[in-house]
Amino acid sequence: MAARHLIIGGGTAGMNAIRTIREEESEKSSITLVSAERPYSRMVLPYYLDRSIAESHVFTATARVLADWGVTAHLGKRVTALDTAANTCTLDDGTAIPYDDCLIATGSSAVRAPVPGADLPGVHSFWTLDEARGVIAQIQPGSHVVMVGAGFIAFTILNSILSLGAKLTIVEIAPRILPRMIDDTGAALVQTWLKDHGVTVRTGAKVARIEDAKGKKRLKFASGDLTCDVVIMATGIKTNLEWLKGSAVKVNQGIVVDDYLRSSVPNVYAGGDVAEGRDLISQKPAVHAIEPTAQEHGRVVGANMAGKNVRYRGSLIINIVEVCHLDVASFGAWDDAGAEAASGVKADRPAYRKLLWRGDRLTGAIILGRSGDIWTVNDVGMLKGLVQSGVSLGRWKEYLKKNPFDVKPAFIASKTTSTLLPETVLGRPSKAPGETPVAV
Amino acid sequence: MSVLRLHPQKCTGCLRCELACSYMQTGEFQPAKSVIRVSPFEGHTSYAPYTCTQCAEGWCMTACPVGAITINAVGAKDVLDDKCVGCKLCTIACPYGTMFYDPGTRKAFKCNLCGGAPACAEACPTAAITYEDVATADWLGDFAVERTARVLAEAR
Ligand SMILES: Cc1cc2nc3c(=O)[nH]c(=O)nc-3n(C[C@H](O)[C@H](O)[C@H](O)COP(=O)(O)OP(=O)(O)OC[C@H]3O[C@@H](n4cnc5c(N)ncnc54)[C@H](O)[C@@H]3O)c2cc1C
Ligand code: SF4
Ligand code: SF4
Repeated sequence: MAARHLIIGGGTAGMNAIRTIREEESEKSSITLVSAERPYSRMVLPYYLDRSIAESHVFTATARVLADWGVTAHLGKRVTALDTAANTCTLDDGTAIPYDDCLIATGSSAVRAPVPGADLPGVHSFWTLDEARGVIAQIQPGSHVVMVGAGFIAFTILNSILSLGAKLTIVEIAPRILPRMIDDTGAALVQTWLKDHGVTVRTGAKVARIEDAKGKKRLKFASGDLTCDVVIMATGIKTNLEWLKGSAVKVNQGIVVDDYLRSSVPNVYAGGDVAEGRDLISQKPAVHAIEPTAQEHGRVVGANMAGKNVRYRGSLIINIVEVCHLDVASFGAWDDAGAEAASGVKADRPAYRKLLWRGDRLTGAIILGRSGDIWTVNDVGMLKGLVQSGVSLGRWKEYLKKNPFDVKPAFIASKTTSTLLPETVLGRPSKAPGETPVAV
Repeated sequence: MSVLRLHPQKCTGCLRCELACSYMQTGEFQPAKSVIRVSPFEGHTSYAPYTCTQCAEGWCMTACPVGAITINAVGAKDVLDDKCVGCKLCTIACPYGTMFYDPGTRKAFKCNLCGGAPACAEACPTAAITYEDVATADWLGDFAVERTARVLAEAR
């Protein structure tokens, strides 16, 4: 009998797994997808928010495409329990689905800081398509938006809010912004840049409560209240794993997986935001909650479900965000306190780089600069390549420590290209998105 | 498939490839819009062109959240403009630094081998860029080692 694969969660990891199963399998299997939402890409929601794309653009597979791929889809349904002894999952409508192997890829949800009034109507999160619709309906030109939280997700929607003609205030309880993406020096540069571009940032500011105020919202602080039209809480995320409680699948920060993305139950895989897999640089288990990790996890799981035995090297943290034409990116272990660090700034413009080293290998990097400069020089990817490949930089290390803005000769003369060319995630050339075999 | 084979010893640094590329890709003679870039070595006494390897993984393509990068008829990874949302994930996923981003159009762009007739190879007067049916390779590594020895010695 053909294998019965069950995919729980139709986001990035789930859809990559489905496509890869179809690419890799030698005999057609049965694939069942259960997903609380229709398949779409969360990370393009900011472009829907600023209306540069239509809502239809966010979807990664329509009902038609799922049918072409031969996927039995239960959309708008949640899995409520997994019985790993009986190899069956149960949906919120009581349906039981048997499987031979399954992938848990249920992603994360936004969490709101425990502030009285955080659940009032008109206080939003921005993580799902539904939440995005809610925010889009509320922001007009001239609206005053207060964003609570200054982490990466807040920054991914910052440009969109401004381009809608809204006035933006960011409040952050911590003493600085972007704590999980760049260091203090970089954060200070971004904060100055924001101020120069008309965005008010209040750090070290704790929201005491949120109240209704004649059709508006009032945020109370120890001193200096704020009144605004729209509140967005970007105060963190949590993995969607409550439903797995009581199952045999071992969960730490996320679902503990081996190098094949198998959980403690061998025919149950996990991928994406919910998986605690290997970090490429530290080689330690980590939950990343970024798109590229979910994509790679999904592809490796898909191949392994299709009978391949693909070992995963580990995921590299890569992030980029643009703030009013200032680009900020970081790679790998940019916050490794045990690494040797060297940084550089330019006197005449906002430009900052920090390179982190273990021996003569680059293990992390922070890059900040005006968009015009960043995309003219275009060496951001090379820094990713140096961190990803872990090439030994030898004498180029001293050169880069002195000249962090001149990466190209070091990249090329260290023969980084030779090291990178044989690297593939699945051990074979990738197929184009449109090439997924049709299963019917 | 055919790829761009780079012969760095033959490059004189005339930048005709950059001009031809930008004109072919955007209709403007603007090296900043070129997806082949000539880099100087040894304090501007040597030059070499550098562009997308059309690598097997296609990190740019597998990273794109909306499937905006595909493989065209001649095997090159190619950005579909109407699908690209400008999220820049491909620019940080490509480990070779050969994905580009245009802040004006808010789209990513890259070498698509001009659909099989690369303008850079056509324009190069010394045949430092040829379009050949060979496996992609690190064309510049050895050359760069030799032509950076002095700079590197001075940096110590
Ligand atoms: C606004 C925004 C911007 C972002 N920007 C970036 C960025 O620039 N770069 C980056 O790397 N990352 C970014 N991310 C993060 C990225 O989107 C996630 O890391 C990625 O989507 C994770 O993929 P996943 O497959 O693990 O989960 P998801 O894509 O979240 O998919 C999970 C799926 O599981 C479903 N589900 C949940 N619970 C159940 C259940 N019990 N039963 C059935 N189905 C269930 C959900 O409905 C969803 O369809 C951004 C996210 C947001 C919201
Ligand atoms: S742009 Fe980069 S990742 Fe994409 S095919 Fe070319 S070398 Fe590979
Ligand atoms: S910038 Fe465009 S092509 Fe690149 S990953 Fe984003 S949507 Fe895809």
